[in-house]
Amino acid sequence: MRQERFVALHSREWDILQSWLNALERQPKRTMQQEQALDFPLSYRRLCHHLALARGRGYSHEVTDRLQRIVQQGHRVLYRPPAPRWHRVASFLVAGFPRLVRAQWRCMAAAAVLFYVPALITLVLMQVRPELAHTVFSSAQLADFEKMYNPANAHIGRNSGTDMQMFGYYVMNNVGIAFRTFASGLFFGVGAIYVLGGNGVVIGGVAGHLTAIGYGGPFWRFVVGHSAFELSALVIAGGAGLQLGLTLLAPGRQRRGPALVAAGWIGAQLALGAFAMLLAAAFVEAYWSSIAALPDVVKFGSGALLWVLVLGWLWRGGRAGTHGA
Amino acid sequence: MLDTVREIETPEGIALRLRAAGALPRAQAWMVDMLLRMGVFMLAMIPLSLFGMGGNGLAMLLLFALTWAYSVVCEVWLGGQTLGKRALGLRVVNADGTPVTWLPSVVRNLLRVVDVLPGVYGVGLVSTLIDPYARRLGDIVAGTMVIHAIELPAGQQVPTLAAVPLPVVLVADEQAALVEFAERSGQLTLQRQEELANLLTPLTGRNDSAAVRQLIGHANWLLGRP
Repeated sequence: MRQERFVALHSREWDILQSWLNALERQPKRTMQQEQALDFPLSYRRLCHHLALARGRGYSHEVTDRLQRIVQQGHRVLYRPPAPRWHRVASFLVAGFPRLVRAQWRCMAAAAVLFYVPALITLVLMQVRPELAHTVFSSAQLADFEKMYNPANAHIGRNSGTDMQMFGYYVMNNVGIAFRTFASGLFFGVGAIYVLGGNGVVIGGVAGHLTAIGYGGPFWRFVVGHSAFELSALVIAGGAGLQLGLTLLAPGRQRRGPALVAAGWIGAQLALGAFAMLLAAAFVEAYWSSIAALPDVVKFGSGALLWVLVLGWLWRGGRAGTHGA
Repeated sequence: MLDTVREIETPEGIALRLRAAGALPRAQAWMVDMLLRMGVFMLAMIPLSLFGMGGNGLAMLLLFALTWAYSVVCEVWLGGQTLGKRALGLRVVNADGTPVTWLPSVVRNLLRVVDVLPGVYGVGLVSTLIDPYARRLGDIVAGTMVIHAIELPAGQQVPTLAAVPLPVVLVADEQAALVEFAERSGQLTLQRQEELANLLTPLTGRNDSAAVRQLIGHANWLLGRP
């Protein structure tokens, strides 16, 4: 069949599809409700058939380019991503995320060791030799910490600022750190190791120093509430980074490219889960931890309860036999 | 680096052509996004400053959203285009040419952290120069790529002349070459058209503008015009 005849036979069909696709770009909702939407998959595949014929028969660019453009447009519509569903967020948080954390337990355990061991060592060292605080922190920083956790303060854990302000600050700061921990894992895991170890030393250092100078009371009362969410999220983000770096080093029985893509997907989900945990942590830290007037029993009791809940959630969440997925 | 077109076979058996976007248009799009975000932040600071300290918290939440969430939300809801990418005619697509989905978008935007190092997008720039499809590290790990969204104009029409049947049978490639010459003749100078047509004097038996007209006549015949 000659080109002219081919075009004469089918060009009306192409024009109809083209104009429908153009309308879809302008008014997606209304155009999708038209009856023509039902015919779209069929007419799109017919058009693909026509393009294959046109290529095979060596028709000129006038025709092949025109069909190619409609195909590009149609492909985007036919294979567009499904609309996001909110219940999937809930089921991810309840079941999918803990399952993913358990599936990556080796990296999580490594991240926990990398974080808690330096933290504990620094904490203990600070008790034995308090002057070490000056090697880890500058005197201005030390003065800052001491002011924040002075037992005489009405609000503990901050110099000034309202709950709302501190909430915003905690979200921006902590989530930023968690995301960077994950992403820097791409440098063969070195970035994640550095951030985990560094944060371990700093957190252990602050805790050790304040305990050593006798400000331990307000400090532990402040951190116990949000520590469950915050420290676990940091470890998970670090583990996600380690997992990414390890995949780059040792992709196993896959080529590096596909292995990295798979690791990136896992890592992104872990980072999103850590983000949700850090939101909870920031909320607790801003609105609950800072209240100084509560008795110790309530403070430490609620902190312990949150630790049990978080660890229980990570340990049992989404197991077979429980509902959620 | 010269051929940046990636051909992907769709389930229909058709080759989809994705034209990878290089570092420069992407840097421009990033610049547009950056200015937009700074503008939004400054505008939002005017009412937020009335709330005092609490306003500071809201401002930091806004800054957080603009830093981390803006790109992901835009890419997923606007069919793979942040506002800057839309202005520059770029689009983020999955490896199979479909608009980017949630997780790949999250991956590529989180790994921006790695690509911006050191300074301003040092790693990203090197990666886009090395990779055949100009992907930065985040794109490689996410399995996405940034393409030019604006389609090239479709081929020119063959000028209509009275059809002249071919004296000999030509194979498909030769026919295609003839039709393409006719299609592009509008973009060539008269001298160049004649120069090319004179190569085919053995076929046409003519020279110069008569040869050009005859070749276009042959092309019309090949297309099936009267």
